[in-house]
Amino acid sequence: MRSKLAGLILLAAVILAAGGYYLFTLQGRTEELSGYLGGEKTGLFEDEEILSILKEKYYLEFTYSKAGSLDMVTADQSGMNYLFPSSQTALSYYQDCHGQPARSEIIFNTPIVLYTYREVLDALTKAGVITEQDGVYYADMEKLTDMLLSGTQWADIGLSELYGSVTVDTTDPVKSNSGNMFAALLANVLNGGNTVDEESVEKILPDLQAIFAALGYMETSSADLFSQFLRMGIGARPIIAGYESQLLEFAAQNPEDYAAIADDVIMVYPSPTVWSTHVYIALDEAGSAGIDALLDEEIQRLAWEKHGFRTSGYGTIAEAGGGVVPGVAEEIIRVTNVPDYPAMKKIMDGL
Amino acid sequence: MSIIVSKWKKIIISVALLACIALTACSGGGAEEGDGSYTVAGATETIRILSGSENQELEHILKECAEETRVNLEITYQGSVDIMRELQQGAQEYDAVWPASSLWISMGDTGHITKHSQSVSLTPVVFGIRKSLAEELGFTSGDVSVQDILAAIQDKSMTFCMTSATQSNSGASAYIGFLYALSGKQGALTAEDLEQDALKNEIRELLSGIDRSSGSSDWLKDMFLNGDYDAMVNYECLIISANQELEKRGEEPLYVVYPYDGLSIADSPLAYVDHGSAAKEEAFLAVQEYLLSDEAQEKIQRTGRRTGYEGVSESNSDIFRSDWGIDTQKVLSPITMPSAEVLLEALNLYQTEFKKPSLNIYCLDYSGSMAGEGRDQLVEAMGQILIQENARQNLLQATEGEVNIVITFSDTVSHVYEAADASPESLQSLYDQIREEECGGGTDMYAAAEEGLRILKENYDISGYSPAIIMMTDGQSNGGGTYTDFEAVYREAGLDIPIFSIMFGDAEEVQLQGLAQLTNARVFDGREDLIGAFRSVKGYN
Repeated sequence: MRSKLAGLILLAAVILAAGGYYLFTLQGRTEELSGYLGGEKTGLFEDEEILSILKEKYYLEFTYSKAGSLDMVTADQSGMNYLFPSSQTALSYYQDCHGQPARSEIIFNTPIVLYTYREVLDALTKAGVITEQDGVYYADMEKLTDMLLSGTQWADIGLSELYGSVTVDTTDPVKSNSGNMFAALLANVLNGGNTVDEESVEKILPDLQAIFAALGYMETSSADLFSQFLRMGIGARPIIAGYESQLLEFAAQNPEDYAAIADDVIMVYPSPTVWSTHVYIALDEAGSAGIDALLDEEIQRLAWEKHGFRTSGYGTIAEAGGGVVPGVAEEIIRVTNVPDYPAMKKIMDGL
Repeated sequence: MSIIVSKWKKIIISVALLACIALTACSGGGAEEGDGSYTVAGATETIRILSGSENQELEHILKECAEETRVNLEITYQGSVDIMRELQQGAQEYDAVWPASSLWISMGDTGHITKHSQSVSLTPVVFGIRKSLAEELGFTSGDVSVQDILAAIQDKSMTFCMTSATQSNSGASAYIGFLYALSGKQGALTAEDLEQDALKNEIRELLSGIDRSSGSSDWLKDMFLNGDYDAMVNYECLIISANQELEKRGEEPLYVVYPYDGLSIADSPLAYVDHGSAAKEEAFLAVQEYLLSDEAQEKIQRTGRRTGYEGVSESNSDIFRSDWGIDTQKVLSPITMPSAEVLLEALNLYQTEFKKPSLNIYCLDYSGSMAGEGRDQLVEAMGQILIQENARQNLLQATEGEVNIVITFSDTVSHVYEAADASPESLQSLYDQIREEECGGGTDMYAAAEEGLRILKENYDISGYSPAIIMMTDGQSNGGGTYTDFEAVYREAGLDIPIFSIMFGDAEEVQLQGLAQLTNARVFDGREDLIGAFRSVKGYN
C-alpha cells in the first residue's frame, strides 16, 4: 500500500513536471492584456474555445474588469492595455477626454432591440405599436415614444396586472451603452426621425429627460438588466432595451433555459433602430495586438454563432443563437445614425 | 494543440483529485461546520463571502457546496445596505458579495471590482400578518394596497416589525414602497416628492407603527419568533420559514400580503470581488456554478425561494402554501426604484427625520473588575457614539428628538446623566461626565437595568420612541440583584424593551445572554468589533 502510494506520488510529480514545462513554454510567450470590458461581452471573453484561439494562435490572454461603456472612459486606467466598449460614442468620448488612442477598430456590431413578453406583445400589437413582418416583430418608434410621453398606464392597454406607466427599462444612459444608444434613438425619433445635431438636440431634450426620469434607478450593465428581465418575469420589467446579441447568446449558451422561456420572451426590432458598434480601443502598443486577434476569422465566426454579434462576414441567420431563436431579422433595414459626439455629449449631460 | 491542452488539463485535474482524496482520508474528511464557515479537507482556496443574513437559511446547501466544489467558504453576515458601503470601500476582506438585491452591488461597486454577478434566487418583500388579524382586516381576499395597511395602522389595529431601512434591503425596499404608495407616484420618485409635507407626515405615521426593528432580515425573523407581534415586513421566503416554525409550535401562522402599489423583489445576486487572484476567481466560479445547478436550485426552492425560469414547481406547493396567502401565479409587479441620488436622500431622511427617534439608556459598568483595560475600552466606546464627529463617520450620529441617558453603576446605581437634547454639544458634555468617573466596588447590572426600566416607565411615553437599554459591561454580576428577581420586575413592567449587551474587559457572556433572551435582544462583543456592535444595536432601534 505504502509503495503503491509512493509510486503514485512519483507519477504525479512527473506528470506535474511535464505539464508544468508545457505550460511554462506557452506561458513564456503569452502576453496578458488587461482592460475594461462592457458586460454584454463577458460571455465571449469567458468562452474556452475563443480563449484557446487567442492563446495558442496569438499568445494573448485577456483579463478584464467589467464596466459600462462610458463609465470605463473616465475610470482609472492605470496598468491597462485596452478598453472594449460597445459604441463609437465611447471612442469619441475617449478622444475628447484623453486624445487619440494607440489604435482603435470596430470588432462587431449588434442592433439595439426591445425584449418583451408575449402578453405585452399582444397588447402593443392591438395598440398598433408593434407589427409583424415575415415572422419578425417591429415596433413603430414614433408611436411607442408617444406612449412613453403620454403617461399611458399598463392598465390602459389592457394589462391590468402590471402596475404603473408604460416604460421601456434601459441601463443608465450616462454610464452604459445600451441605454445610451436607446437615448440616441429616442432623440432622433423625437426630432422627427432626423439625426439630432448639437442644435436640434436642445429642442428634444426636455422630452427625453421626462422619459428617462420616469425610469428611476437604472442598472449600469446591459448584462445585469437582461438577466433581471429574464429572471424576474413580466411584472418587473415588461419591456427592456438591449442588444440583439443578448438573446442569441443566451439561447446558444443555455439551450435548456432558453427552451423554458422561448414561448414567452419576444425580441422586437425598433423601427428605426440604431447599431451598437463594439469598438476596441488599444491604450498602448501591447493592447494593439488584441485587435488582430479579435478580428481572426474563426473568432468572428464564433462571435456570431455562439454570442450573437454580427460581424463583417457573419454567416446565415440560422447559425446564430443555436438556430432556435425565432424572429431574427435577416437584415436590419431601417436604421438611424447615432448622433455625432457633440450632440451625444449634450444628451449625456442632460440626463 | 487544443486537444493536447485539454488532455493535460484532465491529467492534472485527476492528479489533483487523487491528492485531495489522499488528504481527505488522512484527516477524516467531510465539511466542518463553524460560525458561517465550511472547511473542506484538501481545499486549496477559501472564498470569503459577505452576505445578507437571509442566506443563513441556506447553510446546509452551502455546506454541501463546499464539499462538492472543494472550496472553503467563509461567510460573514451583514445587512445589504452595509454591504454596499463595504463595496464602496473596496471590500478588501472579501472575495464575493451576496446582498439581497443587485441594486446594492451596482450602487456600491464604484471601483468596478465585481464581476460574474448572477441572481441565485428571487423572493418578494411582503407583509406577513397573523392570519386571524389579516382576516379581520379584510386582507385575505382581493388586492391590498399600502394605503389599506396604513389605515389599519392609523386606527391602531396593527403594528409591525421591519428591518432598518438604512441597513437592510427588506427594510429599505419596503420603506421606498411606502413612499411610492403614499405619494401616489407611478413614475420614479424625485427629490421634490420627498419634500412634500403631506408625504412626510404620512410616512412618519406609518413608521410609527413599527414596534421592533433590526439590522438584518433573518435576525428580524428570529426576533419576531421570540416575541409577540402582529406582523412583520420581510422576504416571502423568511415568512415561509417563520410559518414552518410557528406551525411546529402549534401557533397561528402569518398570512402573506403583497401590497400591489409598493412591492419589490429581492434578486439575491452573488458576485465575485476581484482582487486579482485567478485561482480565487476559478474557485468562486465553481461555487457559483454549483449554486446555480439544477440540483442546488431545487434545494434552494425548497427553502421558499423562487428559482429558475419556469417559476415554482407544482411539487413545492407544500412550501409555497396558498393557505398562508402565498401566490406563485400572481404577476409580481414591483415599484420603480428611484435614482441612486433620491434613494440615498430617502434613506438619510428615514434615519434623521422619519423613523421614531431612539431612546437609548446606556448602563455603564464602573465596578472594580472593569478597572484598567475594561474601563478604557468603555470610555473609548462611548466616545465613538457620543462625540458626533466620530459617530458621523460610522452613520451612528444622534438624530432629532433622540434621547440619550447614561446610568453608571457598580454594586448600586452611581449616577444617572441625561443629555439635554440630541445636539453635539449636549452629547459632548454627557461624554465629559462619563470620562470623569472612576471604577470600584462590586457589580449589580440588574440594579442598573431596573433603574433604566423605571425611567422609561415613569418619564416617557415609549410608543413614540424606539427604546433600548444598552448594557456595557464585563457581565460579571455579583451584587445583591439576581436574574430571577429582575425577571419578575421586567415581566411586571410589561414593556417590550430590549436589553442589548456590549461586552468589555474579561467578559462573561452567560448572564448577558439571559438578559438578551428575556428581552428579545442580543449580545455583542465590543472588544472584537465595537462599531459593528453599535451599528447592530442602532439597527434594532
